[in-house]
Amino acid sequence: MTAGTSKLISRQKPTRLARITQHLKREWQLYLMLLPTVIWLLVFLYKPMYGLQIAFKDYSVFRGVAGSPWIGFEHFHILFENDQFLRALKNTVIMSAYGLLFGFPIPILLALMFNEVLNQFFKKTAQTIVYLPHFISSVIIAGIVITSFSPSAGIVNTILGWFGVDSIYFLTKPEWFRPIFIGTGIWQEAGFQSIVYLAAIAGVSPTLYESAVVDGANRWQMMWKITIPSIMTTIIIMLIIRIGNILEISFEMIILLYQPATYETADVVNTFIYRQGLQGGQYDFAAAAGLFNAVVAFILVMTANTISKRYSRTSLW
Amino acid sequence: MSGVSLQGLVKTYGDIQVVHGIDLEVQEKEFVVLVGPSGCGKSTTLRMIAGLEEISDGDLSIDGRFVNNVAPKDRDVAMVFQNYALYPHLNVAENIAFGLRIRRESKAVIDASIKEVGEILGLTPYLGRRPADLSGGQRQRVAMGRAIVRRPKVFLFDEPLSNLDAKLRTQMRAEIKRLHNRLGVTSIYVTHDQVEAMTLADRIVVMHDGRIEQTGTPMELFLNPVNTFVAGFLGSPPMNMINARIESGDNGPIARFGELSLALVDTPTMRDAIGTDITLGIRPEFVTVSTQADTHGTIPVDVELIETLGSEALIHATLQGEPFIIRAGTVGQMDVLNGISGFSVEPNLIRVFDAKTGMALPDQVMKQ
Amino acid sequence: MRKLSLLTLAMLGATVATSPAFADGDLKIVDTPLELTIHMHWPRAQGYGVGGTASEIYPVEEAARAMTGISLTDATVGSNTTDSNEAMNLLIAQGDMPDIVGGHLIKQPVNEFGPQGAFVPLNELVAEHAPNIQAFWDSHPEVLASITAFDGNYYYIPYLPDGKYGRAWFIRQDWLDSLGLEQPQNVEELEATLVAFRDNDPNGNGEKDEVPYFARQWEEVNRLLTLWDARSSGSDTYHDFYIQDDKSIAHPYAQDSYRDGIANIARWYAEGLIDAEIFTRGSSSRDYLLSENLGGLTHDWFASTSGYNGKLADKVEGFNFIPFLPPASPSGVRMEEHRRIPVKPDGWAISHTNENLVETIKYFDFWFTEQGRLLSNFGVEGKTWNMIDGQPVFTDAVLNADAAVNSQMYLEGAQIQRGYWQDYRYEWQWTAQAAREGIELYDTEDLLVEQFLGVAFTKEEQAVYDRYWPSMRTYMLERNQAWILGTGDVKADWDDYIKTLNKMGYEKIIDVINSAYTRQYG
Repeated sequence: MTAGTSKLISRQKPTRLARITQHLKREWQLYLMLLPTVIWLLVFLYKPMYGLQIAFKDYSVFRGVAGSPWIGFEHFHILFENDQFLRALKNTVIMSAYGLLFGFPIPILLALMFNEVLNQFFKKTAQTIVYLPHFISSVIIAGIVITSFSPSAGIVNTILGWFGVDSIYFLTKPEWFRPIFIGTGIWQEAGFQSIVYLAAIAGVSPTLYESAVVDGANRWQMMWKITIPSIMTTIIIMLIIRIGNILEISFEMIILLYQPATYETADVVNTFIYRQGLQGGQYDFAAAAGLFNAVVAFILVMTANTISKRYSRTSLW
Repeated sequence: MSGVSLQGLVKTYGDIQVVHGIDLEVQEKEFVVLVGPSGCGKSTTLRMIAGLEEISDGDLSIDGRFVNNVAPKDRDVAMVFQNYALYPHLNVAENIAFGLRIRRESKAVIDASIKEVGEILGLTPYLGRRPADLSGGQRQRVAMGRAIVRRPKVFLFDEPLSNLDAKLRTQMRAEIKRLHNRLGVTSIYVTHDQVEAMTLADRIVVMHDGRIEQTGTPMELFLNPVNTFVAGFLGSPPMNMINARIESGDNGPIARFGELSLALVDTPTMRDAIGTDITLGIRPEFVTVSTQADTHGTIPVDVELIETLGSEALIHATLQGEPFIIRAGTVGQMDVLNGISGFSVEPNLIRVFDAKTGMALPDQVMKQ
Repeated sequence: MRKLSLLTLAMLGATVATSPAFADGDLKIVDTPLELTIHMHWPRAQGYGVGGTASEIYPVEEAARAMTGISLTDATVGSNTTDSNEAMNLLIAQGDMPDIVGGHLIKQPVNEFGPQGAFVPLNELVAEHAPNIQAFWDSHPEVLASITAFDGNYYYIPYLPDGKYGRAWFIRQDWLDSLGLEQPQNVEELEATLVAFRDNDPNGNGEKDEVPYFARQWEEVNRLLTLWDARSSGSDTYHDFYIQDDKSIAHPYAQDSYRDGIANIARWYAEGLIDAEIFTRGSSSRDYLLSENLGGLTHDWFASTSGYNGKLADKVEGFNFIPFLPPASPSGVRMEEHRRIPVKPDGWAISHTNENLVETIKYFDFWFTEQGRLLSNFGVEGKTWNMIDGQPVFTDAVLNADAAVNSQMYLEGAQIQRGYWQDYRYEWQWTAQAAREGIELYDTEDLLVEQFLGVAFTKEEQAVYDRYWPSMRTYMLERNQAWILGTGDVKADWDDYIKTLNKMGYEKIIDVINSAYTRQYG
């Protein structure tokens, strides 16, 4: 009886499987186009996640991920017991916060300034000059920084000398490391980062400006009342992304610029891991620290996104 | 005297001249519509008045003051843009108040103005909303509110209704007209839509290729277009054009085309023009439908399609292979329309143009 | 063909004289040719073939094939990276291992994964089938001890460098001459010399711009510690542990002598005797300071530093930068702390997948025979070298070529990082005259100290070491630089410093390192 009924129903309404098959038959081109992305995600993003478990294992390359024994939170325990890790964590947060505070607004300012430049030749030249450092390798940038801040021949100390200031060996002074590092980062990346804001500004409808002109707004007012509000969505999205990367300090540049003498302010989580790992492939330990980094970054992004969603109606997702 | 005076206004971009010297006097409180096909220079002219485009040559005066080199904000004009130019990050009230804020008006003045404009435009319930949450018509109203609130000497409209659907356009058209009647501010309105021009304008300026073709009241232009361009541009459906030659008929000049002919008004000008190649302009509305093609004075047509619009119908026909459209009333007439075989037209309802120059022959005046 | 017969003749002579294993004069290991696969990853080539290209067979490999009947074919993993560690991890992680795993920095992985079963222990194989290698161990037991894993087995045949000296003290003899000074013989004289360099304008440009002591690596500033009876490292790695009083392992930066040495270095730094920018000047400092006629004294490699006399002869008038003996410490010790390490973490090992263990170990042994050693050091006889008066001598074409001899050898398949015993005669032939004189000078005194060759930890020891050592090293270096830069006073800070080291696990590290040392070196 029951069987008969269900049979009857199934005749009237195609089964789930049948419907899916039908759907696939109809839309297979769309799914085919989707396939490469799905495969890419699986292979390059989800499969490596399997390896994250070594953060909780006593990992041996030879035994493999599955064959290594579980040890729970021991790596994390060791990590948080280490004063140097806590110091590195503190430095990371401070450096990121300063980087965000000073480094985030400058590309926006640059974009706004470029937008106000009317002479095309001057504009293009200025843009090329500020984009250039982005394309120079960190090693060369670090070389330039070291030379510029050299106590004997560096331009900075030369200028200080004009004002009667004794030369300072900046790169061995913990109190100078953060300003130099953050300044270098801004110099290197601000121009290039301004491109996204320039693109956003280019997307603002010109009639908004014309309308404002007729209403009597000057350039300053147009910048404040039209340009900045119009690119606010972009600014917020970029901010959320920046916050997500907050612990991803430019590790390479720190390695190139720091000294044991400046570890006190310069050592960040990544450089700490780097030095720890030097003692013979401690992948499990590095994975634990990396996982911690990722979790913190994820929480930060979620928080920023939620706040932004609530107060500015802009969000990544 | 908040009129606008354009004298020999020219706009060039590099070597290319796009506006070739516009002369136009807009009277105080007058509603002038600049109409023409796209690329005719009407928007450029309007933007020169607003100060958004530099004036290459000629003089522009607003309210008797020479303003060629005066900044837009000091010309005391307000402009409504085609895409509304609303600030997406501001709500309706803030959008309306934008111009006042820029001018650092007091909060009391701003609040009062917002309230007033809100009421005038029926926007009071929406003052707190952002543009993204408004319908097209509401956005258009906000855009107008932004202009009104400034109480300028001159309103400039740059195709303000072209982004709206047909029904909303009709509605907003009427609203603009009412608003003008109420506020009485000098207005210059640019559109490519001749219906808007006809309905809104005190005076229409028809432009073509950077020049003014004709200026006049809507009816003047409708009845007495100076040339084939104006004749063809105004009116919907457009005027039917038939190539013909003036000949001498039994009772005065006639227009002959093929074996067919139509009687023309018997004036000295017409008689003088005998032998001239002409273009006959016959408005679709001005013909009388006939069921008997062989009657004297009836021009036979081949009917292809009858579009019934309700009280009227459009009859798409061909005359000697050329399209010919007739617009006729339907009430009590459907039998006639269905049996149509030709039409007749009164001589004084035919507009005669010189075929070579396209200009109307002189001394034809149709009374309104 | 003729070349081959010449070789065979030479082989006969050599084997009779030195190699008991091949008393019958036959180097053939197998009668039917045997093919073995090899992973060979090292900085100069990421693959077993000329320049890392597997299809281009090394001339040395061709010769070895002819002699032994065993041919190696390339199966290198990670040829897209120059990081040998990374390549090794890739190889092990993918599981499919070739017969032989060789190249750069294999000691740590083979000692970690060997006991887990990835590599074959070599002790018995060598004892039974590799008399030449065994002979080397018998005469160098400390080297064997140094490569032994914690389980008592050893898992690779190392690259064994030859020659004693690495770095030396160099001074501007022409500056000494112009100031009328003698070479400083002890630390007091050295200080006086550096002061004179600083104050008396030896470069004669009227400016006080001389940099008395400089170094390319800032760590070399700690080498000055040896001038005050302290130590900076026990091996050719900076800041390494050292053998204290010939019996136990300690860290040089936890000794009282270090405190006194650093106090002196800090004083020299403050007085401007040490390059003020030593921490950031970097690898180009030697080029810069010498060519600008600014630098007076350094501690750097014999070979490369000797080259400046030739290079700068035209640029700096009278330029004469020569090695001098290490100045004696207050207790009268002349010490050259840096020396060539006798055994490298490079070489080759047999993987667990190898089915021809005996043949493979015999093949490894081949490279320790007289013929194999000549082949691995000098390349193919008759092509790159000839035997003259019983000595292998490079051809003029090799010695006069634009490329350095070692670079040429790398392309021949000689001097590559297989398990082999380097022959210093190879390097001496192309060492500059100034460096040879310096080496001969250094040979006149007993300057070298015993090297700490490293230990292999058990898993538990390793865990202790990994947990404490990196952080402690960081702390030591932070204090080290701070004291030298003058942001702290070593004498005032010393008790706190020692307390902190103990809190950070100094005793635990010393315990595990000594227990490993005792187990390994007996």
